[in-house]
This record gives sequence, structure tokens and C-alpha cells, in this order.
Amino acid sequence: MQSYTRYERARIIGARALQISMGAPLLVQTTRIDPLEIAIEEFQQNIIPITVKRK
Amino acid sequence: MLPEQEKRISDADLTEKTKEQLLKYLNGRDIPAEQFDTILNRVREEYQKTRIEACEAVGIIAAQSIGEPGTQMTMRTFHYAGVAEINVTLGLPRLIEIMDARKEPSTPTMTIYLQPEYSGDRDKAREVSWQIEAAPLHEFGDITIDMENMQIVVHLNTAVCDKRKIAVSTIVETAPRKIRDRRHYRDFDYENNDQDATIVFMPKNRESYQNLFQLAEHVRNVIVQGIDDIERVVVRKESGEYILYTEGSNLKDVFDVDGVDTTRTRTNNISEISQVLGIEAARNAIIHEALATLNEQGIAVDVRHIMLVADMMCMEGEVKQIGRHGIAGEKESVLSRAAFEVTVNHLLDAAVANEVDELSGVTENVIVGQPIQLGTGDVKLIAKPMN
Repeated sequence: MQSYTRYERARIIGARALQISMGAPLLVQTTRIDPLEIAIEEFQQNIIPITVKRK
Repeated sequence: MLPEQEKRISDADLTEKTKEQLLKYLNGRDIPAEQFDTILNRVREEYQKTRIEACEAVGIIAAQSIGEPGTQMTMRTFHYAGVAEINVTLGLPRLIEIMDARKEPSTPTMTIYLQPEYSGDRDKAREVSWQIEAAPLHEFGDITIDMENMQIVVHLNTAVCDKRKIAVSTIVETAPRKIRDRRHYRDFDYENNDQDATIVFMPKNRESYQNLFQLAEHVRNVIVQGIDDIERVVVRKESGEYILYTEGSNLKDVFDVDGVDTTRTRTNNISEISQVLGIEAARNAIIHEALATLNEQGIAVDVRHIMLVADMMCMEGEVKQIGRHGIAGEKESVLSRAAFEVTVNHLLDAAVANEVDELSGVTENVIVGQPIQLGTGDVKLIAKPMN
């Protein structure tokens, strides 16, 4: 797994949390309600379909 | 340590200094392969932790890391502290001086190291110091004003000249020349007599006592030996070798003196270093001086903050001050400059010159209300194909 800086992590999770809060299909089975927590869980499992473009 | 282990250290993705320390520490020890791996991995891990992540606002952190201890300095001293009977500006005034990139520090000093043949012997060190310390003519003999004949007679003391290792003829030659070139006083004639080591100075205007006394003043104070800018030299023994500390600084001329170790000799005049030794040397001098000033006050600031400041100051190839006339004043962006000082003038000038702002910096983007190029604002997201 690619290593991210804390800013990249925050950005990815933030973007994914927004998608989830707007009703995007989840990629994990979870009992959580909070979109941010769900995004973090997805991130930890490395299944968020977002990455960063480095200069 | 096995040679292959040494090779692994030198090939590792670490800084030179860390490698050096690691090699030094592990040298001569017998380390099993397993332990060696653990050590190397831990060091690597530790090194990765100390690295700055991309997009970090290093400038702000540096500013605060130097600024906060700076406030403590104000409270502690605003005085001069003596090193070997020589006054050196220290504390906050000195730090300000460094950041302002003054042409000349308020107390220029040099630390002159000597070559091995000279550094061990007090007399030899003293000899070098005479080549450096500016000595006026009155130290080499008696100067009398002969009012009757309207002239000034200098009797050189040959014993002093011998002791100071300077030939009488040299003094006789330099004194009138230096009065003309260095002190810009030309209204006089002179006669010299090498045999009895005397020089007679006569003002061109034989009527005026004022001129006579004026000339006498020049004759008395003309520098005949040493380097003009260096007013005083103190010889001190430190860790087994003699070192010269000076009041006043002239790097170029000191380098020409025999016996001076040009590799270690340094001055606290940073702009002089940049002129004589180049911009990289000036950068190192800024780092060294700033760190020494802070450490002298018992304040520990990480070098990397100071290195960043020094890099910014030297980036353009010449030493620039931090502030209006240097880094902040010459920024590319109009809005950034306007945000710093004299806002209206900058905006007006920019309007007249039809300047364009690319909005690439932080300040500009804050002003117009866009995300800034720092932290999460500088991360560009792209879609990752799902499998």
C-alpha cells in the first residue's frame, strides 16, 4: 500500500466521506452511521477508489 | 563490523551525518546479522520520523521556532559580552543584525587560526599578530613638532622596529604614502634619512600653525604596519594552540598574511564572507552565526529552521535581508507584497505598471478566498480504478 502524508490521508478520507454522505454505495459492510467513520474504515481497508497525484 | 555491513550502511537511504555517526558507533564491534538488521531498520525508521512531510508549512514553523525563543532573549540581555577582552554584540541585537544582512556588523571581529608551524609557539603567533594589528606611526618612535622651523620630526626607535619585525626603510616609505592615499592629506613635503632613521614632514603652507598641527595629527596616527581595519589583536591559547581574536575585520588582507590558516579563519561579517568566499560560504556563515548567537543564550533551535532562513536569504546569489528591502519586498506577487507593508503604494504601482498576479502563493490565495497551496490544499485527487 502506498504511504500517504497526513494531508493526503485527510483529503482522501474527506472526499470519500462527502461521497458517502451524499448517498454513494458503500464498499464495506458496516454498522456505523457517521459517513466520516465509514470513510475511515474504507481507507483502513485500502478500498477507497481515490488516490493522489504527486508533482 | 563486516565490510558488507559497512557497505549496507553507506548505501542506506540516510543522511551523510547519520551514516557517519552509525559507522563510527558500530566500528570495531562484532554484530550478528540479525541484530544488524534490527539496528539499521530502527535507524531508518527514526530517520523517516524526523523528515518533514510534503505540503508542511515549514516557513511558518521556522518563523515561530525562532521567534518564540527570540522573545526570551529580549528579556535576558541587550548587552555586550566580552570574549577575551574584545566586545562582541550578542543576543537579540546580533540576531537582528544577521537577519537584516547589514553590510557591516556593529562589532566586526575575526577569529584567526594559525598554521601548525605558528600555532604552537607564542612568539611566532605574536609575530603574525603584528602583521595584522594596525599600528600607528607614534608607536614606532618619537614625534616632535618643531615650531621654530615649522616641521614635524619623527625619530624612529630602531629597537621597536626590530622587535616588531619591520624594516626602518619600510616605515619611511609607507608613512608618507599612506598619509596621501589613506588619509587623503596631500599638502605636505617630506625628507627622510635612513641612516639615523628620521623622517621630517613639512606642510606646504609654511605660515599656518593650524596646518602644522593638522599634519602632526595625520603623522601620529598613520598606520604603518598591519591591516588598517583591524584595530586590535588579542592572542589567546585555546585547546593547545594560539588563536588570534581581532577587533575589526578584513578577511581578504588577513588571508594574505603568512602563517594564517585560511581554511579555519573566520569573520562575523557575513557580507564580507559572501564577497571573498562566495554565497555558499555566506550561507554557512549565517547558519553558524545565528546558531552560535542562540546557543550562547542557552536557546536550542533546530538547525533546519535556521538553514531554511539562510537558504531564503542566499537564494538569489547575494545575501538579502528578511524584510521590506529583501525577501518580502521583492516577491513576485503584488497582493503578497501589498499584504506585507505599505499596501497602497504597492497596489498603485502595480496598477500603473499593469502587473498581473498569478495567484500562486499562499497570501494571494488567502486574500482572494481560494484554497492555499499548503497541507490538504495542495493535494490533488484522482480516481483509482477499482478491480
